[in-house]
Amino acid sequence: MSDRALTFLAKLKALFAQRKADSVLDDEMRLHLEMLAEKFEREGMGAKEAARASRRQFGDTTLLKQRQRELRTTMFFANVWRDVRYGARQLLKTPVFTIVCVLTLSLGVGANTAVFSVMHAVLIKMLPVQDASHVFYLHTSGYPDGASQTGDPSTSFSYPVYRALREQAGLQDVMAFIPMSWSGKTPVRVGTVPEEAAGDMVSGNYFSGLGVGMKMGRGFVQKDEDDHAPVTVISHGFWVSHYGSSRDVVGKTLYIKSFPFTIVGVAMNGFEGTEGSLPSDFWIPLQSRPEFNAWGAPAEQGMYLTRLNLWDMKLMVRTASGVSHEQALAKAQGIFERVAYTGIRQKHAGDETYHLSFNEAKQFDGQGDAFARSLKMLMAMVGLVLLIAMSNVVMLLMARNSTRQREFSLRLALGAGRKEIARQLLTESLLLVALGGAAAWIFALGATRALGSWAQIESNLQPDGLVLWFTLSVLLLLALVFGLAPLRAAMSSGPEMVVRSSATVSQASSQKVRAGNAVIVTQIAMCVVLLVCAGLLLGTLRNLLKTPLGQKPEGLLVFGINPQNVHGKEESIAFFVALQQRLRTIPGVESVSMASERPGSGWSSNDSGVLVDGHKPNGLEPGQASYRKNTVGADYFRTMGVQVVQGRDFSDADSGSAPRVLIVNETFAKKYVGTLNAVGHVLSDPTGHETVRIVGVVKDHKYTSITEEAMPMLWTVFTQEGAVNQLNIEMRVPGKPMAMLPTVRKVITQIDPDMPLLEPMTQSAIFEQSIAQQALFARLAGCFGVLAVVLIATGLYGTLAYRVSRRSAEIGVRMALGAQRLQVVWMVLRGSLVLTATGVAIGIPLAMAAGRGLESSLYGMKSLDVASYMFAILGVALVALLASAVPAGRAARVDPLSALRLE
Amino acid sequence: MAADKSEVLQGTLDLMILKTLQALGPLHGFGIARRIEQLSEDVLTLNEGTVYTSLLRLQQKNWIISEWGVSENNRRARFYSITKRGMKQLAVETENWERISAVIGHVLALEAKV
Repeated sequence: MSDRALTFLAKLKALFAQRKADSVLDDEMRLHLEMLAEKFEREGMGAKEAARASRRQFGDTTLLKQRQRELRTTMFFANVWRDVRYGARQLLKTPVFTIVCVLTLSLGVGANTAVFSVMHAVLIKMLPVQDASHVFYLHTSGYPDGASQTGDPSTSFSYPVYRALREQAGLQDVMAFIPMSWSGKTPVRVGTVPEEAAGDMVSGNYFSGLGVGMKMGRGFVQKDEDDHAPVTVISHGFWVSHYGSSRDVVGKTLYIKSFPFTIVGVAMNGFEGTEGSLPSDFWIPLQSRPEFNAWGAPAEQGMYLTRLNLWDMKLMVRTASGVSHEQALAKAQGIFERVAYTGIRQKHAGDETYHLSFNEAKQFDGQGDAFARSLKMLMAMVGLVLLIAMSNVVMLLMARNSTRQREFSLRLALGAGRKEIARQLLTESLLLVALGGAAAWIFALGATRALGSWAQIESNLQPDGLVLWFTLSVLLLLALVFGLAPLRAAMSSGPEMVVRSSATVSQASSQKVRAGNAVIVTQIAMCVVLLVCAGLLLGTLRNLLKTPLGQKPEGLLVFGINPQNVHGKEESIAFFVALQQRLRTIPGVESVSMASERPGSGWSSNDSGVLVDGHKPNGLEPGQASYRKNTVGADYFRTMGVQVVQGRDFSDADSGSAPRVLIVNETFAKKYVGTLNAVGHVLSDPTGHETVRIVGVVKDHKYTSITEEAMPMLWTVFTQEGAVNQLNIEMRVPGKPMAMLPTVRKVITQIDPDMPLLEPMTQSAIFEQSIAQQALFARLAGCFGVLAVVLIATGLYGTLAYRVSRRSAEIGVRMALGAQRLQVVWMVLRGSLVLTATGVAIGIPLAMAAGRGLESSLYGMKSLDVASYMFAILGVALVALLASAVPAGRAARVDPLSALRLE
Repeated sequence: MAADKSEVLQGTLDLMILKTLQALGPLHGFGIARRIEQLSEDVLTLNEGTVYTSLLRLQQKNWIISEWGVSENNRRARFYSITKRGMKQLAVETENWERISAVIGHVLALEAKV
């Protein structure tokens, strides 16, 4: 170790033994002086003279002690510690100021951290895979006519495309993964309780190709895919939650859709699959059993492995190192064009070519649109909030420090260096920011979780290293600004200030006032922008909430049922008919029906091509008559609370052997039948086969979401359709729907203990979820608006109160010279009103620009909504008035005599 | 210079103390001061307190160590002794000193001739 390091260590050690070292030195010095005096006495001096001579020869003991002390330990820590203690005392002395600053900071910084960490996770974070820059999601611009596509059209591929890309495209790896149901969740059983877990069927190279390691056990190999082996890899999270992190989990059995799968591995911590917002719990190799069709579709419609026109596989690729993204894409595109029509028909000249694209291996694929835009908008809003919060704290600090100007000039006069004062101020601001930062981090952890659950993201969003860096750099920046902003004011005072009279001190320099005004005006302008945005978004939410649904979702319980041991058309229909009968017998249940797609969930089957009474529908080409379709059960419209305008609802009599019937909505009747009196007309497919009679017309009502326009729609009854894999049960019950759940569970367990209730929830919740994102953003924007207003109120109040208190001498003089109290009040109010008006004038054009950016997120609102603008302007004006009322009142109460006597 | 006594340079005091401790073994501060006074034949004046500053500096570098002991007339005193590191340092410093003093002596001799 070098001498310097040793010295530093010794000094550090000495830091903790100051007293002891002092007393040791005292002893040594005393002994030395005594011995020296004895020596002089021996040489013949008198005792007194000897003592004096020894002191002379030894030198100044006090000086030596001081020098030893400085040398013994490092002054740096002592100084910093002293500054920190002094700073803490200063903060404690003004508790209200401290609390306001810390709260302001924690809200401002915390909101930014939370929004940033969600944005980071959704838009920036890459999949935790090896060398992620070589991994891509495969997207296509479309799929050929005649293909049957499931899932997101841009990420669905057929089995032949997968095989061809894999074998011929020269890519290092092509990984396939397929959800096992619409919701992504599948019935599983670990012990005795059936439940749902999220899982994908994947290719044998899924883990090796992505480069995801195993916590224990093994990943899949090609043989697993070829043999469709009954093995599974579970996620780290599932391992912890369902197996208590047990070491001997490998080899245990997990029942998936009632089939036993042997656990062969546990994936590395952090890898949550490739399904974005839904973290996967397990993976199994591609399966060939009919129960394991892609997306849980009925096998009667064809298995994904054998029916070659099914486009339902999601693909990812890993490009070979040394091959550029463009080269790999060009090669893959060539193969894709050759095989895209395989299993559908011969490709003809002039057929459309579809284009592949590679999307970066982000944690969330394809979150490019509405959600990303909303997040960016939110980030901008919290940025504004932070700016307001920061300027607020700066103003508060400056106001506080200028009352400390006397203190600073006194310290300068007493010989403090400017460096010391700067260090002192920086320490104080660091303390403040550290307190605020700690509070902000705690706030951000909670806020991130809340944001995630509101946005229905189940995967891990918690702040990571990068987010921490982001927050720390924001905090550091704030600390510098807070430390340096008041520094100039403190320095400008100079030591001579201390001797000046208070009258000169009380005159705030016009430059400083102007700077303060500029800050307030900017704040008000930003507040107007935030309030206008909040008004527009809240208006949108109000419009969404009051849009009539055309049905009564209140009091409806919904859950999915996917019978495991039921096969074929007759058996499955009989199962659901029996289930409906059984559920009707539960005491209190008003009615029971079912639907293959849940209204409000966003899913919808779209179809086209229909003839009405054997003719073109209302003069349109049959192929252009597009409509939505849902397959439901008896009593459906009565259960849903939809008004039947004409004809009747489906009933138990509409069995498989009865004449085929369907029900249409008003839009369908008007558009394709040409009249609302559509009952009795007969629909058929364009070839004229499969005739079905319309038995009812129902009122138009919302189907996929609240924001949709009315579209032609028809309903058929499941007893007259093909095999059913899964239906959603809709139960109308009195009181709270969820209270019925335990009873229903008991009934279902009696039928089949392996059959879970899939996604049980209330029908109202489904519609609420369909606008959850808009609601989230509107409410957050509202919160930020309120926050901004509160910040501005405190800032304005603080500044005005401070100014009035500094001008009390001037006000006293004015009053002594005959100014009326009202005039004084007006003087203060006028100042703040001028500032407010200027801020509003600057804010309105900015708000108009921001509103234009928001346009696509609005529903039933124009971006130039007058009410929102009025609300923002009045809000700001009211707050400004309130904030200045107290200082104005205080100015009016200034007693001229006592104010003048202070001089 | 007219004065017949010289101030002690800071670095040289450290060197003198190290040498003293090497030559005489463990000593207390008073003993060190006496020894230097004796050796310098009263040419150097010394505020004896500065010895302690020097001793602290040397301890921090781990060149000497100290412990409590009993002085010749039965007083509790702090005794300082040189460490292995200190020995090495002394050798280096001695060599340095000799080289520099030789060079300076040489330079001064030159100037005298001119």
